[in-house]
Amino acid sequence: MSAGSVEVRHLAKAYGSVRALADVSLTIRGGEVLGLIGPNGAGKTTLFECLAGQLPADGGEVLRNGHRLSPLERAELLFYLPDAITPWPSETLAWCLDFADGYFGATPGRRDQVIEELQLEPLLRVRMGALSKGQRKRAVLAIGWIAPQPLLLVDEPFDGLDLRQTREVGDALQRHAAAGRTLFLSIHQIGDAARVCDRFVLLSGGRVRGHGTRHELCAQAGDIGAAASDLEEAVLALT
Amino acid sequence: MRSRNAVVWLLVKDWRELLASRAWWLMLALIGPLVGISFISAVRTYAELSAAGGTGSGVGEAFSPLVGIWAPTFSACELAAAFLLPFVAIRVVAGDRQSGALKLELQHWLPPWVRVVSKATVLLAAWIVASAAPLLAVLLWRSYGGTVYGPELASVFLGHLLNAGLTISLAAAAAMMADHPATAAILTLAVTVGTWVLAFVAAVHGGIWEQAAQFTPTAMVAEFQHGLIRLDATLIAAILIAAGLALAAIWTQIGVPERIRALHSTGVLVVAALLIVVCATMRGSWDVSENRMNSFPVSDEAALERIAAPLKIEAHLAPEDPRRSDLERRTLSKLRRVLPNLDVAYASESSTGLFEQAREDYGEIRYSLDGRTATSRATTVEGVLDTIYDLAGVAPASDEDEGFRGHPLNTEPYGAAQLFYLAWPAAIAAAALAHARRQS
Repeated sequence: MSAGSVEVRHLAKAYGSVRALADVSLTIRGGEVLGLIGPNGAGKTTLFECLAGQLPADGGEVLRNGHRLSPLERAELLFYLPDAITPWPSETLAWCLDFADGYFGATPGRRDQVIEELQLEPLLRVRMGALSKGQRKRAVLAIGWIAPQPLLLVDEPFDGLDLRQTREVGDALQRHAAAGRTLFLSIHQIGDAARVCDRFVLLSGGRVRGHGTRHELCAQAGDIGAAASDLEEAVLALT
Repeated sequence: MRSRNAVVWLLVKDWRELLASRAWWLMLALIGPLVGISFISAVRTYAELSAAGGTGSGVGEAFSPLVGIWAPTFSACELAAAFLLPFVAIRVVAGDRQSGALKLELQHWLPPWVRVVSKATVLLAAWIVASAAPLLAVLLWRSYGGTVYGPELASVFLGHLLNAGLTISLAAAAAMMADHPATAAILTLAVTVGTWVLAFVAAVHGGIWEQAAQFTPTAMVAEFQHGLIRLDATLIAAILIAAGLALAAIWTQIGVPERIRALHSTGVLVVAALLIVVCATMRGSWDVSENRMNSFPVSDEAALERIAAPLKIEAHLAPEDPRRSDLERRTLSKLRRVLPNLDVAYASESSTGLFEQAREDYGEIRYSLDGRTATSRATTVEGVLDTIYDLAGVAPASDEDEGFRGHPLNTEPYGAAQLFYLAWPAAIAAAALAHARRQS
């Protein structure tokens, strides 16, 4: 199943008097790697949790191919991997992947494929709670890759990874997308985002400050009188 | 098919979470010695009384294993349910939220109640496993030549199972509603202590407090331990268990705004309160004790059943007056089971009755039946029944039943100390170590 075109319209969320998201609208195209970039506190995690139905939004809607999605339809469309979690810490990675495979109903053979793609074989007998931060990140990514939903939201996929691991996971993400999965990645390191993502949504202060490819963001920065030759400069100019 | 697989995986996962919890192994390890202390002491007391009574007429004849052995032995379960089980339940219920696993699991479109029922099922299964300790005591008792009356044992077991269910549902609700497991533990223990305070207030003030205190877990378990299965108490326990689990399910829905969750919770509590009020009026009960300790003799019951008119009893006794508890426990509780149209009212100006003794009407018990009245001060079964028979103009048939002769047994608790203080903890420690080794 393909994710198709997913549209987020006028999403809003406030924590008391603090406005975390204000009228956020964006489009996720089927099969692309979309990067959600922006400074810390921009509202990236809040946006993902609202989209995944794990945080109640104050307003807004999610549409797929023009059809407004019910919570059930949304659950069938997207899978969200939160940052900084250690699920089932007392279980081995092998069991966690078996659980994800059985519980979420993955396609046959998917588990073994994911183990190979993320090079998890040496870690299979290690308990989740005993994995290092980077290993745990890969393990959680594996769970997301096993889940059958066509759209995968990943909060900070490179957090805790060293340079080599970042590049390897980045390549794996691109291969994963090339196989037909739509990826929406929240990344605060602009350099990492630039290497992996096809398009970007720039979020700052709970608002979308720009969106498009790297060149389009640079052009948007130029429109407000700030010359930007790369993504980092464009982000600095637009936020 | 996919959902069924998911439920099975959820159950397996929750069971493994339980096995990975130190609180569970600790509870298992402790329940053995707790049962051991109670059982050994009960067997010794039973033996002493049996020796004193012998097989002739004496104390031993009236002795029943239900009161003498099972009630004290299983009381260890009450202690475990109040102070150990909440921590096991909170660990299993809150663990997923603490680790972040809940955020992943919630993305499978299973209804929230399925998740809560899965955990409750695993925790009840855990409780049944822990109940192996008192069941071992039953086997020991049989090996000494003691009598085991199945319905009595089933009643005691059911009472403690319901009590465990109450603890589990309360802990589950607290674990999902509180931000942190420590807060959930405090909330759960606060409710337990609250029920004890209620029982204390009921003993001092009587009235509506006394009615409410009948349905506290302690009071409920006490009745099951006496072989009395009351429909109202059982249904109210079931409603409270369902309400607690429903609250836990509501607060599992982290994507639903808190005000909506609070509204749904209020709805659950209102429905539960209404059902409890309805159930509290139900009079059905079953005395499954071998010696019919919760019932009058058959001839008296037959005579009382012939009384159709409403009977009103007004007892001028203070809540803390021992005569009142005698009257209530030995006579009125049995009378209520036979006479559906019985209305009992207590009248007193103080909680102890200490300064009311001089009052002329203090200690009087006034009876009113079909326009006729009588007054008596007798609080014994015979005294009360005779007054009622005189008022109603009925007489019981002569009782040819020899009555319960009891099962005296003068024995030592052979092997119990070794089993409960050594073998049980050692077996649990070995099982915990084996499990940990398999995990690592």
